[in-house]
Amino acid sequence: MQFARRRSSSLTPELALWAERIEKVARGYGLDFYELVFELLDAKDVNGIAAYGGFPVRYPSWRFGMEFERLEKGYEYGLSKIYELVINNDPVVAYLVKSNSLLEQKLVMAHVCGHADFFAHNCWFQATDRHMLDTMGQHSTTVRRLVDRHGLERVETFMDAALSLENLLDPYLPLRGHLAKTKPSALGAPPTYDILGFLCERAPVEDWQREILRIVRAEAYYFQPQRMTKIMNEGWASFWHSRILTGGVLDASEIVDFADCHSGATARAPGRVNPYKLGIELFRYAEELGHDVFALRRRHNDASLIDELVDQAFVEREMLFLYGKNSRTARTEVTDRDWRKVKDRLLGELAWGGLPQIELVAVDARGKGELSLLHHHDGRDLQLAHARETLLRLSAVWKGPVELVTREESEGRLLACDGKEVEVSEIAAPNVEPQAEQSGEH
Amino acid sequence: MFRIEVDRARFREIVRGRIRQDLRKYLSNSELIARQGEHAVSVPIPQIELPRFRFGENQKAGVGQGPGEKGEALGEKDGEGGGEGAAGDSEGAHILEVEVELEELAEMLGKELQLPNIQPRGKRDIATEGGRYNGVRRSGPDSLRHMRRTFKAALLRTISSGDWDPANPKVVPDREDQRYRARKSAPVPDSSAVIFHMMDVSGSMGREQKEIVRIEAFWIDTWLRSQYRNIEVVYIVHDAVAKVVDQNAFFHLRESGGTKISSAYELALKLIQEKYRTEDWNIYPFHYSDGDNWSARDTERCVALLRDEILPRCNQFCYGQVKSAYGSGQFKKDLDEALGSDERLVTSSVSDRGDIAAAIRLFLGKGR
Repeated sequence: MQFARRRSSSLTPELALWAERIEKVARGYGLDFYELVFELLDAKDVNGIAAYGGFPVRYPSWRFGMEFERLEKGYEYGLSKIYELVINNDPVVAYLVKSNSLLEQKLVMAHVCGHADFFAHNCWFQATDRHMLDTMGQHSTTVRRLVDRHGLERVETFMDAALSLENLLDPYLPLRGHLAKTKPSALGAPPTYDILGFLCERAPVEDWQREILRIVRAEAYYFQPQRMTKIMNEGWASFWHSRILTGGVLDASEIVDFADCHSGATARAPGRVNPYKLGIELFRYAEELGHDVFALRRRHNDASLIDELVDQAFVEREMLFLYGKNSRTARTEVTDRDWRKVKDRLLGELAWGGLPQIELVAVDARGKGELSLLHHHDGRDLQLAHARETLLRLSAVWKGPVELVTREESEGRLLACDGKEVEVSEIAAPNVEPQAEQSGEH
Repeated sequence: MFRIEVDRARFREIVRGRIRQDLRKYLSNSELIARQGEHAVSVPIPQIELPRFRFGENQKAGVGQGPGEKGEALGEKDGEGGGEGAAGDSEGAHILEVEVELEELAEMLGKELQLPNIQPRGKRDIATEGGRYNGVRRSGPDSLRHMRRTFKAALLRTISSGDWDPANPKVVPDREDQRYRARKSAPVPDSSAVIFHMMDVSGSMGREQKEIVRIEAFWIDTWLRSQYRNIEVVYIVHDAVAKVVDQNAFFHLRESGGTKISSAYELALKLIQEKYRTEDWNIYPFHYSDGDNWSARDTERCVALLRDEILPRCNQFCYGQVKSAYGSGQFKKDLDEALGSDERLVTSSVSDRGDIAAAIRLFLGKGR
């Protein structure tokens, strides 16, 4: 890939110069990406775009307004601030915040180079729509047209229902289809995890509603790889921003500020895993062990990378631990530092893209036209209040009864929804272990 | 960023709907009061979440990173901390705050409790200058020229004089076609009101009682503010003697000792006579106590003050009795007995927060 001439860009001449230099250094290290377009915006506009998931052209929904409200309040009170926003598209578009210092801008630009390379080369992104900006624009036009025709309330209600079902998808489906070089055609045939796809094909809804389902599904599948590679993607970008900046881009006077900014982003957090921190350390560890980091970033997702790299030495070095609630003291405390348990837990959390693994096992099994869903319980319960509401919405879209089998701790639960109410009953625990699909080598 | 503003507006609309639905809840707790700004209240609402299949919190467990021995509580050694939240994508129970104008809140209250609008007493419509440019004149400065009206007038003239040529639709405004925007002045009813909040702060009024008073006072103020242009609020506390205090002291002052209600009434009357003359002000005294008075003689004095001096001067006098563990509740009985027939007197009794809405409705439901 050659240096692309920059398209419209709102960078100041100084920043444009730095963008050019940093991009050159990045490519010199072997990073390779689509054309990169930086847009310089003020914080409010960046918040607005972030509320839309990075796409200023997205369809209208109050949900984005709510997100905007949250981001604005967070910014106003100084609780949170967005440094950068980058979207997987060709060209890659990255938004920089005007109020950032020059050093921060440099850091962000180098970081963005890492993301851009990751989007271009990680296998999980190979099936994503690279013209998503345009596609989202079309979706937006479609939704607006539907609103004009069918009224805001109706479209909004259905959209909300569809969005509740957004995560009923098969994270492995797009790649499988991509590898087989065919469009995934197994839609509409249970058993399947692609429940959204099933509904697109089989739900007895009006045409305009089907259109909304398709839009929601397409966008959900577009974002899914980012969820599955959050740790890697952030790790890779941090790994490279650090190397690029300290490899000659920074002036000596900027090093301390850089270190401050960098360590803020990659700080260890006691109660959770900071993807920036874990990710960068994974790549550094891999490099020390003599792995080809470029090959790793191509082949893996978060789960498979951790599966490949994490061992006793890594867990000890990174001071990873398991925590849990001590029922006696009601405190949350460190429960274990055994590396195998830590690794198992990490893998379990990441295996299904961080989502509950829910499968459509049968349609019309008892002749009532009902959908039978099964939650592959991995030790983490579903939040039942949410599950009930979601079932109600699923039932409204399906226009028929739906049921879900899950577990609460070790006890089986059946949630049956007839369209009006959800009844929870105790059943024998379903004896299904989560079957995390093997990814890794292809 | 025009589009996001549209979505934000829609979100706010949805939120207002929720607040309207939950107004009864806000009527019985003090959540809103601490959040009152000059013109708006910021209402905390739990983020409206789309239901989804998601993991519950059956175990607050997970993987963390940092030092600490087995069995050590998280976050004790917080030297680590300092994560500046670069990765701000954690999901959780976010609380959002949404600004609602006081005016709007009053409107919601009015709807919820079906409050009638207040008819200002007397006829004191003082013509005040309305400063809005919503009139049209034939003369004026060029800067105020009303292009559309001017063009319309010219077009009319052209057509009526037969000069109109559809093939060459040229319209030239004449001097007499010129139209200018003009200020229209309309008589605006001059409406000022003063609210007296008087509270018994003697030993028997506990925290909960004051809280109830506080909630009542907040809603009463909100409503009256929406009804009058110019509102002043006077806070008076009393035990055996009365004094004027500011809002903060009103709700937090804790005195002890006896209760002489007449002291507060006398003070209010003095203020009315000196500062808030009946000709200029709509007067709303509110008095809250637990119903205990020092002596029957003082109660008699109160009744006399009300009957002869205060009631004739005010729109409505409201007595709100808040039940406390020590109060006898005698004062309300005495008032009702002596003055119950006077419709300018409204008394209510509140035994817990659930009664607040009813009390407010009683006070404000007459539209006086």
